[in-house]
Amino acid sequence: MKNLFQNFSKTILCSLSLLSMSLVSLPKALAEKPKEITIGYLNLVNAQLVTKNLGLVAKEMPGVKINYIKVGGGGDMLRAIAADQVDFGGLGNPPTAIGVTKGLPIKGTMVLNMLDFVEAMVVRTDANIKSFKDLEGKTIAAPFGSTTHYLLLQALKDEGIDPASMKILDLRPADIAAAWARGDIDAAWFWEPNLDKAVKRGGNIFMTSGIMEKRGYPTWDVGVVMNDFAEKYPEYVNKFVKAECDGIDYWIKNPEKTAAIIAEELSLSLDDATRMMKGTEMVPCDKQLTAQYMGTTGKIGGFADTLVKTSKFLVSEKRLPVQLTRTSYERFLDPSYLENVVGK
Amino acid sequence: MKMNKDKTKVNKTTGILRLIPSFMRKRSFGYSMLTVDVLFILWIVLTSTGIADELFLPGPLKVWQAFITVATEGYQGSTLLVHVITSLNRILIAFGIACLIGIPLGILMGASKIARSLLNPLIEFYRPLPPLGLYTLLVMWLGIGEESKLALLFLAALPGLIIATIQAVQNIDPVYLRVARGLGASQKTILFSVYLPAAGPTILAGMRISLGFTYTVLVAAEIVAATAGIGWMIWDAAKFLLSDVVIMGLIVLGLTGVGLDLLMRLIGRILMPWDQRSGSKA
Repeated sequence: MKNLFQNFSKTILCSLSLLSMSLVSLPKALAEKPKEITIGYLNLVNAQLVTKNLGLVAKEMPGVKINYIKVGGGGDMLRAIAADQVDFGGLGNPPTAIGVTKGLPIKGTMVLNMLDFVEAMVVRTDANIKSFKDLEGKTIAAPFGSTTHYLLLQALKDEGIDPASMKILDLRPADIAAAWARGDIDAAWFWEPNLDKAVKRGGNIFMTSGIMEKRGYPTWDVGVVMNDFAEKYPEYVNKFVKAECDGIDYWIKNPEKTAAIIAEELSLSLDDATRMMKGTEMVPCDKQLTAQYMGTTGKIGGFADTLVKTSKFLVSEKRLPVQLTRTSYERFLDPSYLENVVGK
Repeated sequence: MKMNKDKTKVNKTTGILRLIPSFMRKRSFGYSMLTVDVLFILWIVLTSTGIADELFLPGPLKVWQAFITVATEGYQGSTLLVHVITSLNRILIAFGIACLIGIPLGILMGASKIARSLLNPLIEFYRPLPPLGLYTLLVMWLGIGEESKLALLFLAALPGLIIATIQAVQNIDPVYLRVARGLGASQKTILFSVYLPAAGPTILAGMRISLGFTYTVLVAAEIVAATAGIGWMIWDAAKFLLSDVVIMGLIVLGLTGVGLDLLMRLIGRILMPWDQRSGSKA
């Protein structure tokens, strides 16, 4: 009887230790490879289209299923992130400021693009708008919560014009193009590829996001990764950043081939694609680590300042409840993946 | 029988109890309040213990604060009252037009086989279409103003009304019609003295369901180019991750829906005192 009991307890002990061993090794085994990853990309003109078209992410991650989801604007992307529907995403600075202030579990890994005239305010030619003052009494559209909505309100504030003196409507880019075609709106600040549709139907560019950058209001899109994913698969974040950096290099080195890719991805003519490309500034990955952009680990660059400025503005607009310090935004920006990729 | 008993009880009650509406004194109301209480306590427990992330489910106090702020200071330029009135306006106009068109059309289709055969394909086809799919087209046709919003709400309200009315008319006891015709009633008399009174209760039930369906598309209708409205407020706040405003908006929206439904039952009881259903279920 005693023997039996001893045997029994031995078996239990053995199986317990085996179990604990497997429990310890389990997360490690999981850490090796995700089954699939989901990339949310913004519907605009940047090198993510090149990376997607050339399958660069798949090249870095053989055996991993890559899902691409097209997202209309920053507001929709925020919701997708809050609902944990993507692993990687892209956000403009206003949605980033909102997400970070609200404590979304995300990290900013790299600069996707700086916004120049790829985002612009188009005005109806016969509406005779020559200055911001002329917008009074007119109907203006912008996707609320996006970079352009932020710039519109910021520009009005700087000119000392009350936004209540005009009708500012929340429309998504595709809806703006449709409403523009019907003649429902006089001006709209949004982005390519839909911006061009408005310009071609009796509009001309009045203001661009590039001009606003020179006035001290840079807008950009930052690549983000979900914290859970980054903790589980840090190596795969490096791989993702590497793939996007390769896409950016390709964009800079092969402008003609890139234009062909963009024309294909967005169903545009080659001329249109070429022109839109010039409106987006791509930053090479080694340059992203300089003080103007991401900066380096321990010395986060200008992006943190833009986030502070953006959130300050959003707080004044009552779109955000509290203003965080620069340190909070520094914690969000994590250039270590870029450093790994560039250092290699 | 049961109703009569309740009524006598109501008549006997005196003093302060008289001020409380009769339905609140019923046992079923107590059970309903129990559900509300349990949900509310669950909400407090989930949020105060930190099981629920505040980003997704803020506590009752936060939602109450959002209510006070929006009610007094407003949300993006309009106070809560303005948002509610704007939305109720849209819903009631669209629903009213839908009733004016849907109920006569339903009576026609219920009474005449030819009318039914002619119109059925149209209604059966668009009824299952998702509102957002329709909306894109409506925006292109009617623009971004009130017209497209009203049209979407109208289209959501219409099929339920028509189908309920057809049912109501078809279920009328043919004896009523034969007697009326035998006594030499004109078409007009038959419509107002036979069809409408006999079909009324079922039509009212259809109206209540249809109003609920109109509510379900309110947020969708206010997504495009609205600057006020409770649906727009919910949509806009979600974009800025203001979940306290979102939940507050949903509660307010739900309460207005309950209020309108009570109102419709009340109207039903006044207009159709012969109907037992609308009264006894309250």
